[in-house]
Amino acid sequence: MVLVFKSILVALVGVALGLAITFKSVERGVGFEAVHVGPWTGWPKSGAREADPYARAARARSGEIPLGITEGLAFIAGQDSAGAPLNSRCDAVLAGATPPARFWTLTATTPDGRFFDSPANRREFTSSEVVRDATGAFSVDIAAAARPGNWLPVAPNQAFQLVFRLYDTPASASAFTLEAAQMPTIARGRCA
Amino acid sequence: MTGRFWDGAVDALARAAMWILAIGAIAGATHLVSILAMPRLAPQDAYARVAAVAPTNRVALLPEGWGAQSPSPAGLFPRAAAPFEDPALVRGVCLYDLAKGPVRLIANPEPERLLLLSFHSRRGDVYYSMTDRSATRGHLEALLFSPEQQDDVEANDSDDELPRELRIVSPTPQGMAIISALAETAGAKADARARVAGVVCGLDRDMAKQAAN
Repeated sequence: MVLVFKSILVALVGVALGLAITFKSVERGVGFEAVHVGPWTGWPKSGAREADPYARAARARSGEIPLGITEGLAFIAGQDSAGAPLNSRCDAVLAGATPPARFWTLTATTPDGRFFDSPANRREFTSSEVVRDATGAFSVDIAAAARPGNWLPVAPNQAFQLVFRLYDTPASASAFTLEAAQMPTIARGRCA
Repeated sequence: MTGRFWDGAVDALARAAMWILAIGAIAGATHLVSILAMPRLAPQDAYARVAAVAPTNRVALLPEGWGAQSPSPAGLFPRAAAPFEDPALVRGVCLYDLAKGPVRLIANPEPERLLLLSFHSRRGDVYYSMTDRSATRGHLEALLFSPEQQDDVEANDSDDELPRELRIVSPTPQGMAIISALAETAGAKADARARVAGVVCGLDRDMAKQAAN
C-alpha cells in the first residue's frame, strides 16, 4: 500500500517537474541553434523546417511569425555590451557597425515582445530614417525621456529589450560567422 | 551494533536514490514528450492567430496590433496578437487551402522597394521564402500545390515552353503566405499597405477564368 502511494507520488512529482522544465525552456526561448554576437542573440534557423524542437516549441507557444531565411534575420539583446541588463532607469546608446543588408530596423520592446506606448509615436528606427553624421556614423539613444538626435522612446523604469532586424541580408546564410565588430554595440548612457 | 546501523543507512540511501532516479526519469520523459508535442498542441500558434482574422485564398492585410484581446497594462500597447512583430513592416497574408486545387500568387514589386514573401506550413515551418529580387522584369508569380497535385500541374505543361511561374510544393494542405513590405519611414506606411494589397492570390482555376475574361 505504501509502495503504491509512493509510486504515484513519484510519478506525479516527475510529471510536474518535466512540465515545469518544458514551460521554463519555452518561455525563455532556448534553442540549440542560437547565434551569440556581442550582446545580440539571433536564431537564423528559427523558422526553418530543420529548426530544433525547442525553437519549434517556443515558436508555437509564442505565436510569432518567424522570418524566412531569405527575408532576413532578427537579433535580440536583453543586455548591453558590458553585460548589464537593459532597464530604462539608464539610457542605452546603440552605435557602431551594421552588417551588410538592404535595410535594417531597430525596435525596443518589453521582454515579452510588446511595444511601449510612445508619446512621440515612434516605435522603430529604420536604416532609411536614422540621422547620420558626415562620416555616415550614427547612434540611437534609447531613453524614457526625450533626447536630441535619434531618440527611441521606452517606458520609464522598466526592463526592455532591443530587436535589431536585418532585411535581405547575406548575413542570413553566414550568421554563424558574424563577429561582434560587425554588429552595433550597446553602451549604457546617463542614468536617471 | 554500529555495523547494523550503517547497513540500514546505506539501505535507506539506496532506496532514496532509486526514488530520485525514478522522478528524474519520469521528468525527463515528460519534458521530451511535451516539447515534441508542443507544435501540435499549442492552440494559439501563428497560423491559428492569423486564421482568426483572415479569409482563405485571398490576400488580406493584418491590421496593426491585430487581434489584440487582453486589455493593455498602463503605458503599453495592447498585447500584440503576434509578438515580436516589426512595427516598420506592413504585413499581409494569403491563408491558403489546397483542398480545391492549387493556389496562385502574383506580385508586381516596384524596383528597389523591399517586398518579402514567405510560405509557412500549417505546422509553422517556413518552407520557402524570397524577396522582390526574385522578380523577373518586375513580375513574380508562384504556384502552390500539394505533393498529390504535382502530376496534374505538370500534365498541363507544354513541351516547348518553360513554366512562367515559380512552383512550390506545400508540405501541408493548408498554410499561409506572408507578404511584408517595409515602410522605410513613418510616412511611407500607406504606400507599404498599398504594395502589400497589390499582391493577388487565389485558386488557380479562378484566376485562370479571370484572366480569360
